[in-house]
Order: sequence, then C-alpha cells, then structure tokens
Amino acid sequence: AVAGLCPCRALLSRRGGALRALCGSVRGLAAAPETHFGFQTVTEEERREKIYQVFESVAKKYDVMNDSMTLGIHRVWKDILMHKMNPSPGTLLLDVAGGTGDIAFRFINYVRSVRERQLQRKLKHHQNLSWQEISESYQEDRSKSLGDSHVVVCDINKEMLKVGKQKAQHLGYLEGLSWVLGNAEELPFDDDKFDVYTIAFGIRNVTRIDLALQEAYRVLKPGGRFLCLEFSHVSNPILSRLYDLYSFQVIPVLGEVIAGDWKSYQYLVESIRRFPPQEELKAMIEDAGFFKVDYQNLNSGIVAIHSGFKL
Amino acid sequence: KMAAAAAISLRRAGWRLWQGHAVIMCQLCPLQRPLQASAVLRRVSEEQKKEPLASSSQQQFDSHPAEHKPEKEPQGPRPSYTGQGGQESEDYESEEQLQHRILTAALEFVPEHGWTAEAIAEGAKTLGLSAAAAGMFHSDGSELILHFVSQCNTKLSGLLEQEQKLVQLGEAEKKPTDQFLRDAVEARLRMLVPYIEKWPQALSILLLPHNIPSSLNLLTSMIDDIWHYAGDQSTDFNWYTRRAVLTGIYNTTELVMMQDSSPDFEDTWRFLENRVADATNMGNTANQVQSTGEAVIQGLMGAAVTVSSAESPELQG
Repeated sequence: AVAGLCPCRALLSRRGGALRALCGSVRGLAAAPETHFGFQTVTEEERREKIYQVFESVAKKYDVMNDSMTLGIHRVWKDILMHKMNPSPGTLLLDVAGGTGDIAFRFINYVRSVRERQLQRKLKHHQNLSWQEISESYQEDRSKSLGDSHVVVCDINKEMLKVGKQKAQHLGYLEGLSWVLGNAEELPFDDDKFDVYTIAFGIRNVTRIDLALQEAYRVLKPGGRFLCLEFSHVSNPILSRLYDLYSFQVIPVLGEVIAGDWKSYQYLVESIRRFPPQEELKAMIEDAGFFKVDYQNLNSGIVAIHSGFKL
Repeated sequence: KMAAAAAISLRRAGWRLWQGHAVIMCQLCPLQRPLQASAVLRRVSEEQKKEPLASSSQQQFDSHPAEHKPEKEPQGPRPSYTGQGGQESEDYESEEQLQHRILTAALEFVPEHGWTAEAIAEGAKTLGLSAAAAGMFHSDGSELILHFVSQCNTKLSGLLEQEQKLVQLGEAEKKPTDQFLRDAVEARLRMLVPYIEKWPQALSILLLPHNIPSSLNLLTSMIDDIWHYAGDQSTDFNWYTRRAVLTGIYNTTELVMMQDSSPDFEDTWRFLENRVADATNMGNTANQVQSTGEAVIQGLMGAAVTVSSAESPELQG
C-alpha cells in the first residue's frame, strides 16, 4: 500500500506540495490531533471545518461534477452497489453522507420494482378466488407500494441536504424518505435500528473512520449489513499511472471550469490518494466488529465496495 | 504517538496469527472492543451448552480456527478445552454454523418463495436477524439448495447406518441387494416430497456451471454411501459400473418423480423397482464392457419413459 503511494508522492513533491512522511498504519487513523487534509497536515478540528467548506461550496454543482469527472460511470457504480444490496421490501436503510440522495433514490426504485413483482406473483396465485376477494387484496397491497421500506439520508452538511431535498421534489420522490442532519462519527439514532447502512463516497471525508465504523455497528440490527462504496487503490501499474495522470491533471481543471473551484477538486483527488487501500479498510471494518467482511473491486480498483455483517 | 501505532500494528499481527490455523489461546494484546461485539454469535452459542459435553468441546476446537476475531480474555485462569462446555468467552459459534442455522430456518419458507434469496431472508428473520443477512449468500439460492441436499444425504447415511446396526445386532434380516437399493433410493427421494413443487427449479440451479462441482460431489458421495452400506466390497471395474448404474437409476427416478401425479408416487416406485431389477439382471452377465454399455441404455430408457410420460395429457406440473 505504501509502495503504491510513493510514486505518486514523488510526482507531487516536484510540485512542492506540503508532504509529510507518515507510516502507513497511522495514516488517517489520527490517534493524535494531527491529521491530513488532502496532502496537507492539519488538526482534526481544522479538517472537519475545511471539509464542511468544501462540500458547502460544491453542493450545487456536485452532481454535474460527478458526471463529468467519472464520465457518468458513477451511476453504474451506484447501481452495482444497489444490486449487491438486493434489498427486500420492508428494509430500513441508513444512507450516511448521502447528501444529494443518489443512493436513496436508487433504493426506492429498486424496492418499488421488487414490490411490484411480488404483487404480480401474488395475483397470479389468486386465479381461483372470487373477483371480490381479488380486488380487496389488490387494494390493500397497492397502498403499500414500497412495502414499508424506508431510507434515512443523513449528512453533516446542510447545503448537500438542501440540494438533495430539492432533487427529491423535482424527481417526484415523496414517500419513504427522511432527511437528517448528523455526523457519521456520532449518529443521532438509537442502537439496533437499521437493516442496511451505506456510505457512498463519504467515508473518505470522515475524520475518524474508526468512530464512524463503530457507529455503523451500533445502529445496525443484528444481521444487518454495512456497505461502503469508495475510491480505492489501483494495483495495476499501467492503469494506476493513467489514473494518476487523469486525476491530477484533468479533474482540478474540470473543477475550475465547471464549478469554479480548483481547490475543492484538488482536495478530492488528494483525499483519494490518502485513503487506506482495500485490505486496510477491510481490517478496520473487522476491528469494528463486523463479520464476513469482503470487498469487490470495480474497474480494477478505482472503486471498491466493502461489505460486512453485524453478526 | 508511535506507541499507539505500534500497538495497532501489533494487534493486527495478533489478529493475523488467529487467521492461521493455530489453536493458540494466547493473545498478543487485549482487545479494547465493547463487550457487546458479535452479540448474535455468542448469544446463540449459549444454547449449545445444552449439547453433550463431548461434542461441545469438539466444537470449540473446530470453531476457533474459523473464528477470526480474538475474543475478550477473562482476567482469571485460561478456560480449559477439555470438557466444560459453556465457558463464557470460548463458545463463539463460527460464521459457518450461523449460516447453516439460517439456511435450515429458511427451508420452511421454500414451498412459498421457492429456492430464492427471499426464502433465506425470511429464514433469517425467524432467527431474529435482519433480512439483510441474506446478503451473505449468493442471490440465486444455490447455497440453500446445496445445504438441503447435504442435509438429506446426512439423514440418509444415518438411516442406513441404523439399519446396519440392527442387522448386526441380529434384530433384522439382511436385505437382498436389489431390495436394499430400492429402499435406500426411495427413502432418499421421499425427503424431497415436501418441496416437490419447487424441486425442478432446484435441479436447474444445481446444473448451473458454478454449482456443478459441489452438486456432483454431493451426488457421488451419496451413491457411494448407499453402495457402502449395501455391502459392496468390489475393488475392480465393478466399482465404477455399480456407481454409474446406481447414479443412472437415481437420476432417472428423480426425473420421473418430478412429474408423477399418482397417489403417494406409486408410479415412481414401480419405475424404480423395474430399473433396479434390470440392473440386477444386468449384473449377472459376465461381460463388463457389455454391462457398462447397458447402463447407458438403462439411462436412455429411463429418459424415454420420462419423456413419454411428460407427453401424456393428465400430467400438469
């Protein structure tokens, strides 16, 4: 993991960024008040503030930037996450750092279609009932088109939540959604509440990842699932070079052109490099108490989905 | 700062040591995880205290290498392995055991939901787990089917062993081979009766490429078991012939059973009887090559019966 980071650092030292040689296991685990913000060194408080400001400024253009940076592939990644989750109707989902609601909307769509299929199957079995009985059962099922599924979108940033709510209204998602302002390191929920906890492209911005994982463990029901979608480490050296090139040369430029904000996107790319690679994150998730922890690389490691169960 | 880093990497090293199959009880450093970690696994294992001591100590030995998390070490003397089932920190069941429990619980929902992830989710719910626990398994229900098949095979072995004991004790007559085979296959196929409507779906899933190694494995070991209890002592080519013949009989009878609508599957058992009779007569011929060829013909005949029965109008799924 550290070896993979070195050529990247060498690339940047030529640019004269402020780098600090930290050993791999301490990276991001901030036992001390000092931590990283991109490639800078800051205190934990400063980091939280800076990240808040980053997302405050990008909130309105967040979705546009996502599309242009990843060439629309982020939609596929999020779809894959949803298929992996395979939620059944009645599932309670907590989407942390879910700001603009991408995962939440996909969840609702998925559950709705599963529910429709269930209803269709039920109707097929009712072939030999009277019309009265069929219409009665049809009506009572219709009223629960989501089958009691619910998603709570939690984000620390007010601006992101605002954008998310506007999107929901615009796209017509009226039921099954809740928007809560909260910190992933200290969730405002009771223990053993949720079936699934997801954090998509958010855990990178959490200052104390171990605390966030512990909170995730706490709020999940026994048997509940933790899913984390995040940029990760590319092991293929050729792809890694191209990816670095694209990240550091193209993305901040796009950020300036589209969102008028070079620095935020510089932070974004740097934070990806500072995030622990797949195996290390897997170990951290296991440390929080999750079982059957596994990860799936998408696009050979550009993005990885980590999954764990509270058993 | 460096001490914290050292402690963290040391703890990781200790955890990795656990992952190896070393049944060492010492830990490199104590865990500072809250005590309610893995509440489900520990809670469940307390039920295992009711099991006989011998098996529970065996389980402790087996479940520890699979358990990849070091559990909290009590301050007092080390808990012993030898007999006291029910030590507080020792009987974590493994993830595999929990998975087996979920699959077993899921079986009762199969007639309604089929061999699907939904049945597994319902099973998990009856154990007090969230439906999301079904995510531990493949979404096509393969593990559920394989678990069921393996359970049936184990039951069959148990039955055959009991019969053998009775014969050894002189309380029962030793059956002639063809009768033995018929009874064994019938007993095994009868285990499918509660799930017979969804069994064709299960068969098709078992034929998926990624399942074939496991399903073939289960099939061959079951056939092997039956011949073993039938008293097969052959060490020559007969061994293969016998296995092939019985596999053919079993598979074709299973297919016939799928679309048999006679009361209590009489037609199926009659079909089975005829096939076994043919096989026994076949075994009396001296020519081994010829008998292997005839085994193939038996299989084809069985398939032909299946196809012709499928075309008869009275048979609906």
